[in-house]
Amino acid sequence: MAGTARLAGLFAVIVLVAAASPAPALARSSGLDEQVRAIASRLRCPVCQNESVADSPSELAAQMRALIRTKLEQGESPEAIVAYFVSRYGEWILLDPPRQGLGWILWTAPVVVLLVALAVAVAFIRRTVRPGEAAAERPESGGP
Amino acid sequence: MISILGSTAIAAAAVSSLAGLIFLLRGRGRGDQRLIDRGHWAVIALFVAVTAAVVALEVALIGVDFSVRYVAANINRATPLLFRIIGLWGALEGSILLWAWVLAGYAALVAVRYRGRHQETVPLALAVLLGITSFFLLLMLGPANPFGRLSPAPPDGRGLNPLLANHPLMAVHPPFLYLGYVGFAVPYAFAVAALLSRTLRDEWMTVTRRWTVAAWSFLGAGIILGAWWSYEVLGWGGYWAWDPVENAAFMPWLVATAFLHSVMVQERRRLLRLWNHALIIVTFLLTIFGTFLTRSGILGSVHDFTQSLIGPLFLIFIGAVLVFSVGVLLLRRDEVRDTGSLPAYVSRESLFLLNNVVLLAIAATIFIGTTFPLLAEAVAGVKLTVGPPFFNRLTVPLAMALLVLMATATLLPWGPAPRGALRRFVGPGLLSAALVAVLSVAGVRGLTLGALAVIIFAAAAQLAEFHRGARAMGRAEGRPYPLALVALFSANRRRYAGYLAHLGLALALAGVAASSAYRTESDHTVSRGEAFSVPGYLLRYDGAALSRHPDKLVVAAAVSILPPTALEAVPSRPAAAVPALATLYPSERLYPQQRTPIPTPAVRSTWRGDLYLVLLAVGPDGSVVLKAITNPLVPWIWTGGLLMALAGLISIWPGRRG
Repeated sequence: MAGTARLAGLFAVIVLVAAASPAPALARSSGLDEQVRAIASRLRCPVCQNESVADSPSELAAQMRALIRTKLEQGESPEAIVAYFVSRYGEWILLDPPRQGLGWILWTAPVVVLLVALAVAVAFIRRTVRPGEAAAERPESGGP
Repeated sequence: MISILGSTAIAAAAVSSLAGLIFLLRGRGRGDQRLIDRGHWAVIALFVAVTAAVVALEVALIGVDFSVRYVAANINRATPLLFRIIGLWGALEGSILLWAWVLAGYAALVAVRYRGRHQETVPLALAVLLGITSFFLLLMLGPANPFGRLSPAPPDGRGLNPLLANHPLMAVHPPFLYLGYVGFAVPYAFAVAALLSRTLRDEWMTVTRRWTVAAWSFLGAGIILGAWWSYEVLGWGGYWAWDPVENAAFMPWLVATAFLHSVMVQERRRLLRLWNHALIIVTFLLTIFGTFLTRSGILGSVHDFTQSLIGPLFLIFIGAVLVFSVGVLLLRRDEVRDTGSLPAYVSRESLFLLNNVVLLAIAATIFIGTTFPLLAEAVAGVKLTVGPPFFNRLTVPLAMALLVLMATATLLPWGPAPRGALRRFVGPGLLSAALVAVLSVAGVRGLTLGALAVIIFAAAAQLAEFHRGARAMGRAEGRPYPLALVALFSANRRRYAGYLAHLGLALALAGVAASSAYRTESDHTVSRGEAFSVPGYLLRYDGAALSRHPDKLVVAAAVSILPPTALEAVPSRPAAAVPALATLYPSERLYPQQRTPIPTPAVRSTWRGDLYLVLLAVGPDGSVVLKAITNPLVPWIWTGGLLMALAGLISIWPGRRG
């Protein structure tokens, strides 16, 4: 099974590469881990479909997490680190789109839908309530 | 050979579909029962033909016939039998075939079940179902042909996407999802037919209630099984990412849930006729839209989807269904005028309206969040991402409002609230206050405590209703409490199955709240025999082993769970000497069709939560990097979600009182 042997070789190489790439160190300070995770979960993994940098198993995401850690250790603020990634990748990298420009429409539209639906429902109830008129009343046994 | 058979079957299906349409519409127009009967037979012929196509594709998949392009592109000789079979829904063409098959199956069931009944409506409903089937047959005759040929046939195929071939849940998640998705075509068809025929004004949804609830249950089960698959396979320790594919299935489920509640108001009060028609139309449109989102390639990039005809065809179809449905509604607007009235401002009826508002707001939020990036790119050329923070921030408060409404509407009766109705809130209120106090002592704080308080109250309200009914029944009939509970349930199956579904929702949301707030995650680089601890567990790495399988290579690390205090009791004792409680095998799997290995997590579940291990890397010296995640109450999500689906099926199971 030459194919399998080649596969095994390939596998070993991949595993070694994965091991050699910046491996997550033994939890040095869990506070730092938390901070890295908090920042990484605000960023989109650029090579994945819909995964955050915190959750993605990809190599790029691992490098980005390492970079976030380095920057935090150098004393950069979380906001500055996020701004750094935005300057490199554009606002597309933010999982939480900014509340301005187009993003403003995105954030207000659901609220508008909710308010309009609520207004329609309340108007409907006010229009349709006729107390004392027990029209089409049926026993409760057919309930929900 | 097989591809000729399959193509013939699809052509035969298209002919049956068209013939059926003509028979049914002409027969109905002329009042010719013989033609209508022929129409029913044509629907059955359609189902037989699509079944033949499915069998043909399965034969090609199981027999690894690489002269069929779909087979060559999606499996290979090493693919195990189970995953050859489920290769049917591994890619676009097969999925479209599955869609058509399920739809033809539903249409055949309608044709058999309603033969000779509702003569004014059923032929039209069947015609609508045939119209929808025709679209999917058209796709298969054109751009999504599952029987396209490859000549010469390659010696081996490309193999299934490893993520799909990695877990048996893939065998059940898509069929349930499709049974649910496609099932909403039946109430939709009846809704339109009732309007067109001006009959069954309030009865169409009673007639189709079983179909609607079945579709709702299947879709719910499909969503939960999909979340579970993602949890067991993808290795990030989560189950829901607000991915467009997930949202596509969730939106119709939400609108259908609104529909299931608001039809009860129509049944009792002759209200919301227009509204209920609109809801079932929107539900059906969302199922087509979801299929479009997941199957047109538009998610990769807006510009991708024009590469194939499928995306544009879907858009045209969605537009046609929309215009047709709205047109019918406008044409028959007199038929959908309300004639009833509400008895009081505060009543279960009003709360159901608010429930509809909240469910629709959640669906609208998800719709806006899912489509916004596509629209922004297509219209403004701006690339942006709408991720979990957006969805969570907007849907979590709405979900809490929904739970409050659910609890209140369960405790209030239909009609004007009787005096003393508020007393019904005391029992569940006290019970939840006590539980919340316990949680608070246990250290639960802030928003999580608030969310859990609402969830517990919502669950307690359901339990209180069971208790109130069982006590009354026990007193009236002198039965012992447990028997009274059973009698109560079977006498009012629809109502108490509803409460059971509510209970399932509360369980699932408790799991979501706890696992979101108290998940821990840590990475550990450990050498063989080394012990390490994660919150709540003491673990030991026992070495890794490589194994060869026909379709993959697996490197698995053995990680033992030790008694948590094993090392504290005898500090000098070597970790390697402690007997293990259990051993987990997180692994990396390498499939020949994929260059990078796929980490496959190992999960140990108890009712309190999960330990979730992922093997990240294996070093040359045998040491490994492991990711350990502890995830409280995650099994509650699967239990609660499947309980909801089960409750739906219980409520419609044929019996003494449906």
